[in-house]
Amino acid sequence: MTMHDEWTDKLSDYLDDELQDSERAAVEAHLRGCPACSAVLNDLQRVIARAQAAAGAVHPPQNDLWVGVAGRIDRIRQPRRVSFTVAQLAAAAVLIAAVSGGLVWQLVPSPGSPNGLRNETTAPGEVAQAFPGLPERGTREGGRSAGAGDAIGILGVSLADDQYDAAVADLEQALKQGRGKLDTATIAIVEQNLQTIDQAIAQAREALAADPANSYLSGHLVEARRRKLDLLRRATALTDMD
Amino acid sequence: MTLSGDTAIRGGMNDDVALAAAGDAFAFERVYRTHVARIHSLTRRMLGNHEADEVTQDIFVRTWQKLGQFRGDSAFSTWLHRLAVNVVIERRRSFAIQRERMADDPSALDLVTVAPARADLIVDFEHAIEQLPPGAREIFVLHDVEGYKHREIAVLLDITSGTSKRQLHRARMLMRKHLSGL
Repeated sequence: MTMHDEWTDKLSDYLDDELQDSERAAVEAHLRGCPACSAVLNDLQRVIARAQAAAGAVHPPQNDLWVGVAGRIDRIRQPRRVSFTVAQLAAAAVLIAAVSGGLVWQLVPSPGSPNGLRNETTAPGEVAQAFPGLPERGTREGGRSAGAGDAIGILGVSLADDQYDAAVADLEQALKQGRGKLDTATIAIVEQNLQTIDQAIAQAREALAADPANSYLSGHLVEARRRKLDLLRRATALTDMD
Repeated sequence: MTLSGDTAIRGGMNDDVALAAAGDAFAFERVYRTHVARIHSLTRRMLGNHEADEVTQDIFVRTWQKLGQFRGDSAFSTWLHRLAVNVVIERRRSFAIQRERMADDPSALDLVTVAPARADLIVDFEHAIEQLPPGAREIFVLHDVEGYKHREIAVLLDITSGTSKRQLHRARMLMRKHLSGL
């Protein structure tokens, strides 16, 4: 250990105010006459400043770790006994019906829509034009004019793979055509988020293959697919704006 | 034309913690997504890339299990951070190499000598932290990045304050060497 080492070993304690008054005074006296130790002190101050700055610079993991967490907490949750009141069950049923109806309404392709999804102003009768193979129950079977409720009843499940994949493909195509209207930062955000969602979907599928009865994973997969669709719709809408 | 961020998610933080504590897994996912970047950064800095993913998952599973104990006496982020540090330290202890890593080893000063070659200074700094010997790295991250005091670190790591100070100085000198390219 050199004479410099004896002093430099005290510099961290000096910077952290961990020295007794007498030691502190001795270090300061040495620093006044020693450029080498003063330089080390400056370097250590820079290191500390960089560390403090790093505290605010956090980065998410490259992989979506949520699926692994969700699978484990689902196994923890299963032994719990959960009970609901009749009123809660009725409220849940109404909510599920409303959400399902909303998803079907959004996912029914509209012939006039570039992204393949229904506009909110699309008339229910256009469902038959979009799906010519389906019976128009409202008009042909019951003699009534078709309404929104009929459309939901005819089309059934909305997140079937073929229908979902077609909607995603249409949106991706529309986004590809319109990406020139977006700035590079927005494109980067969209692509990064799509990549994350795709990873989540892939991991959820993989986890479900190993644990097909896991209801939480099923819900997670549906939610991830819905997020992808929503992100694509929002991004595509940006390309339509002037 | 830009896409808005996830401010809506952040705005529901308190509600989500309460819902998650009551067993709502969807609310807990929102809690996870709000905090995962900070927790993963902590584990990556303290343990390295290869263990960060697994330990981050362990932390959030533990969080789910212990959420009922969170009383709101401190900010949730503070509570979560403390829990995360404890899980990281448990992981280190499970390897039963704590004492060896805490031993003073002057030759370790030669381990980190490569000057930063990349322009991105933040990445360089993170890279330099990763190259620190594990014992010095833990204390450097806890003290200089996360703001813990030596006496807190001594309790967390079951070492003396003097050891914590020596390891911190050792880490800083290694970081200095790296950053100045000596």
